[in-house]
Amino acid sequence: MASIDKEALARLAKLSRIEYDPSEEAKLIADLDAILDHFKELQGINTSTVPPMTGGTDLRSVLRADDARENTNRGAGTEAFPKSKDGFLEVPAVFE
Amino acid sequence: MDNLTIASFHKGLIAKEFSAREAAESYFKKIARENPSLNAYLSTAETAALEAADDADARVADARSRGVTDGIPALTGVPLAMKDNILIKGLPATAASKILEGYTASYDAGVTAKLKTAHAVFLGKTNMDEFAMGSSTETSAFGITRNPHDTDRVPGGSSGGSAAAVAADLAVAALGSDTGGSIRQPASLCGIVGFKPTYGAVSRAGLIAMASSLDQIGPLTKTVEDAALLYGTIAGADPLDATSTDEGALAARNLASLPPLADVARLTIGLPKEYFVDGLDKDVAARVQGAIAKLTAMGFSFKEISLPHTRYALSCYYIVMPAEVSSNLARFDGIRYARIPKVSDAVAGKGASLMEVYLKQRGLGLGTEAKRRILLGTFVLSSGYYDAYYEKAQRVRTLITNDFAEAFKKVDAILTPVAPSPAFKIGEKANDPLSMYLEDIFTIPVNLAGLPGLSIPTEPYPLGGEALPVGFQLIGKKWHEADILNIGRHYERN
Repeated sequence: MASIDKEALARLAKLSRIEYDPSEEAKLIADLDAILDHFKELQGINTSTVPPMTGGTDLRSVLRADDARENTNRGAGTEAFPKSKDGFLEVPAVFE
Repeated sequence: MDNLTIASFHKGLIAKEFSAREAAESYFKKIARENPSLNAYLSTAETAALEAADDADARVADARSRGVTDGIPALTGVPLAMKDNILIKGLPATAASKILEGYTASYDAGVTAKLKTAHAVFLGKTNMDEFAMGSSTETSAFGITRNPHDTDRVPGGSSGGSAAAVAADLAVAALGSDTGGSIRQPASLCGIVGFKPTYGAVSRAGLIAMASSLDQIGPLTKTVEDAALLYGTIAGADPLDATSTDEGALAARNLASLPPLADVARLTIGLPKEYFVDGLDKDVAARVQGAIAKLTAMGFSFKEISLPHTRYALSCYYIVMPAEVSSNLARFDGIRYARIPKVSDAVAGKGASLMEVYLKQRGLGLGTEAKRRILLGTFVLSSGYYDAYYEKAQRVRTLITNDFAEAFKKVDAILTPVAPSPAFKIGEKANDPLSMYLEDIFTIPVNLAGLPGLSIPTEPYPLGGEALPVGFQLIGKKWHEADILNIGRHYERN
């Protein structure tokens, strides 16, 4: 089974868009390793004939009725932007 | 006006013993006095609450003038507390995270809209573990909440603020969310009632999502009667949550009247042997046995059952849940909802790239537990590990769900402890994630299987009493919330 080393942690952190302080590194690795170690117990269970449960419910997917509804809350989303310009969300440049 | 329940508030309001405004004002006075030491509320909403209370009073007066007070909804004017991950338009919603500090909700959650239709009053937003990740309310970015029964101890979590607010009578009742026990465990540790309905019974629209295949909103109340009333108000389908159905509302309709004990006692209760094992705190074991003895005396019969995959539930949950967390929390990028000003200023001056902003905002905005779970979730979903971890856990989840299905062929409800111990000391488990995760060992399987679960105090636990509160859990069949709520309603009357 897997364990986490410094490189693996750095890769996960980049994928997750999370910067961590070097002082957090050792404890993060130790904690994640202890948790992964706990997961080993699952490997002993034979699940070859068991279907995976892919959600919280066995109900079938429901589609919303295709009816026009009036938006009574127009503008509330854009007003909540922390920084906006001409009604748009202002973000740093995406392309270098 | 102390220790009002939803039921006694309603009677008092109709009988003109007090107005909704007087009640709200009295609660705000109490909050001002006691919240600084408990930190149950992160924010209060006096202006909006008093406006809603006046509206409730006007409606009651109007109904009275027409002689139709019978039609007044049970929640009218009732002062409620709301967990800070459930949106109320115009009020803060931080989910106790720095990354959402300063965010104001731009719409009402589905449950908020239903409660507003019933003319309830929202006193404020309650503290919680950050993004509902924790079992002690210690991971909140805005300070710990203290247990009103012993302020050196945790109130449980993640809905610890809601539980403490109700236990200390800083609200008549509250809403929380439960992903692995976050309503039931704090209810048990604070000596109140906590109810997680069937997955899909209550809309999660406007709940800041943690793990979408597990999350469910439910009530924290002083009595089971109140839990039934509050549940009846919030249950039902919502077009904005495709997993919500009307099955839960149909179940709630059966709660309008309580069948006689002789009828309810025909339900057979199962005792899973895997839940009564060594390692359970002696006091918890004795009190839960006391509850079983009381139910036996009331006429209920018990049967030993087996849920053989119980021991794997914790591992299964700590794979499935972080996987969903890593995806759900990706939206908190420090760009859209709120920004940490210090970071924005620092990177803006340097013409930083979007990637640098993400890394910095999330790095500083998210707490240790949130980071740990996002990293873990990213790991179990990553190429090369997906089959061994995530898919394996999904298969084990099927086995756990099947265990319950088999058990429910033999019994109508299942009784277990809620938490392995009473409230623990602040700081006792904060640095050891695995020991904290074990707090939810009896509640997690219920979420994995999508079942309703109810936490009931084994006996009344008034504040200032000697004993730390202990609860027991009743687990019901899907959409059979009425079964466990009716057992609970009779339990608290006897």
